[in-house]
Amino acid sequence: MDSLRLGTYTFSSRLILGTGKFSSTSAMLEALRASGTQLVTVALRRFNREQAEDDLFGPLSQIEGLTLMPNTSGAATAKEAVKAAHISRELSGSPFIKVEIHPNPHHLMPDPIETWEACKILAGEGFIVMPYIPADPVLAKRLEEVGCSSVMPLGSAIGSGQGLSTADMVKIIIRESSIPVIVDAGLRSPSEACAAMEMGCEAVLVNSAVAVARDPAAMARAFAKAVEAGFEARNAGIMPRSGTAVATSPLTSFLGAAS
Amino acid sequence: MKSLPAWLIDARLSADIEPLLRQNDAASLERLAAEAQAVTLRRFGRIISLYAPLYLSNFCSSGCVYCGFASDRTSPRRKLDTGEIEKELLAMKALGIGDVLLLTGERTSTVGFDYLRRAVEIAARHMPRVAVEAFPMSVAEYRGLAECGCTGITIYQETYDPENYRDLHRWGPKQDFLERLETPERAITGGIRSVGIGALLGLSEPVGEALALLRHARHLCRTYWKAGVSVSFPRIRPQEGGFQPSFTVSDRFLARMIFAFRVGLPDIDLVLSTRESSNFRDGMAGLGITRMSIASRTTVGGYVEADATSASQFEVCDDRSAEAFCAALRAKNLDPVFKNWDAAYNNPLATEERA
Repeated sequence: MDSLRLGTYTFSSRLILGTGKFSSTSAMLEALRASGTQLVTVALRRFNREQAEDDLFGPLSQIEGLTLMPNTSGAATAKEAVKAAHISRELSGSPFIKVEIHPNPHHLMPDPIETWEACKILAGEGFIVMPYIPADPVLAKRLEEVGCSSVMPLGSAIGSGQGLSTADMVKIIIRESSIPVIVDAGLRSPSEACAAMEMGCEAVLVNSAVAVARDPAAMARAFAKAVEAGFEARNAGIMPRSGTAVATSPLTSFLGAAS
Repeated sequence: MKSLPAWLIDARLSADIEPLLRQNDAASLERLAAEAQAVTLRRFGRIISLYAPLYLSNFCSSGCVYCGFASDRTSPRRKLDTGEIEKELLAMKALGIGDVLLLTGERTSTVGFDYLRRAVEIAARHMPRVAVEAFPMSVAEYRGLAECGCTGITIYQETYDPENYRDLHRWGPKQDFLERLETPERAITGGIRSVGIGALLGLSEPVGEALALLRHARHLCRTYWKAGVSVSFPRIRPQEGGFQPSFTVSDRFLARMIFAFRVGLPDIDLVLSTRESSNFRDGMAGLGITRMSIASRTTVGGYVEADATSASQFEVCDDRSAEAFCAALRAKNLDPVFKNWDAAYNNPLATEERA
C-alpha cells in the first residue's frame, strides 16, 4: 500500500488519532495500539511537567514508532498559536504542529484569518504544518501557498458526530489540492471515515468517536479497517454512479444513426 | 436610576428551556438526564476538569446576610501575606492542582486591588491557570489582572431578583445590583478570557432564578463571542450567621436545572463545587457537569494548616481528599484532569488584542 507522505515523513497508517476525551490514559494507549496508528495529536494543554499521572506526553512517547503531532488547542490568536508551537516542539521534539486556533472557546470553530497568519510563520520556521480549518477551498489553497504540508478541513463541528456534512466543499478541496487533504473532526462512525477515504482524502483524524465509544480499542480498530478499505477501494477504481435510467425509447433517435 | 437590561427581563431568551424546568415528574427527569449525558459526552468526552479554591482573606466590607464572611461576623479576620500565599500554592501543587481560584471578600482597605494583583502574580508563577473570585473591579483593574496572568473571574449575581437582592445585601458596595450585574462584561472588556457566573440557589424563587441565569449566560455568549462563559450552581450551605434560605432547592430540582442548562448551553463548562455532597457530585459528574472543585479548604490558610482557625465562608460538604474524589470519578469511567490549560496562552499582548 502507498505511504502517506507528510513533509519528509512517511506513514503506512492513514488513521491519525486524537488523544483527548478518553476515560483514562491507559484506555487511550490501548486504543492507539489497537488502531496501528503512527501519528497522534496531543494538546500542549495536557502536557503536565508537575504530575506524571495527569500527563499525556510522557506515556505517548513510550509507544514505539509513534510520531507526535502537538496541537495548539487553547490558542485564540496566531501569536498564541506560534508561541504554543515553539513550546510544543521543545517538549516533544516533533517537527509536526497541528495549528488549531479557535477564538470562540465554546463551539471551537477554527479562525481562518489567524490560522493563515500562524501557518505562514510556522512553515517559514520549518515546521510540518497541519492546519485544522473550515472546509473552505480558497483558504485551503492559500494555506498550500504559504507552505503547509497538509490541510485538515472539518467534516462537521468538533465532537458533533455529524459526519461529513461538508462533503461538497471537501470534494472541491481534494480536487484542487496538491498537498494531502485530511478530514478532521465530526466523524462519528467507521463508515464515514471510509467515505472520506473513498472521496480522496489521504488520511482522516478521529478523536471523539473513538474516545467515547464503549470499547475505544475495538472502535479504533474498526476505524483503521474502514480507512484502509476506503483507500483500497479508491485505488481499485470505484464504479461511477449513474444518475438516470436509460430510456427504452431513446430520446435522441430522431437524430438518426451516427455517421 | 438605570433600568434593568433587556436580556434580564426578556422571557423569549429562555423560553425553550422553561418547560423543562417546570416539569417535576421522574420520567421527564430521567429523559433529560440521558440527553444531558449525551450532549456532554459529545462535546467534552469523559474529561472532568478540576480546580481548587484558595482563600486569600476573609476581610469583607459587605453585609450579605447569607455569608460567613459578612463584616458583622465576629470570627477572627485574616489575610495571607505573600510568603503564606506561596506556601499555600506549593501545598496545592503537591496535591497535583494546576488550576486555582483565588478568593477574597468584598474590597476593603486591607484587601484591595494591589493585594489581589500581587497574589495573581505569585499564583501565575506556580499554576498554569489562575482565576479570581473577589470583588467587582473596573475595566482597567481587570486589564491589570489579565496582564499578570489571570485568565478567568467568577462573579455570582447571588440573586437575579432586584428586590430580594436589596434586602439580602444590608450594606457595602455590593448593594448596587446593576453594578454587579455588569461585572462580567467589564472583566471581558479588560481582557479576562473567561467568566463564571451563578446564582446562590435558595435566595429567590428557583425557576425564575434559573431562567435569569440562563439568559445571562446566553447574553454574554452572544455579545462577547470570544469570551469563555461557565455557569456554577451553588446552593446555600450552613454558615456562621445561621441564615435560613427562603426557598428550598431540592437535589432533584438542582439536577433538573443542571441537565436543562446542558441542553440549553451545549458547549460551555458547567461547574459543581464541594458545597455539594459526595453522592450528588459523583452522580452529576458527566451528566452535564464538566468542571469540579477538589480538596477545597474554605478557611484562610487551609491548605498548610489543617486546623486553620479563621471563619470559613461556608461549610464544605464533600470533604474527600483529591485522591479519593479522583478514584470516584475513575470508577465512573471519567478522567479527572488537573491541567487542561497552558500558560503559553496567557500572553498579555495577545490578551490586549482580544479585548
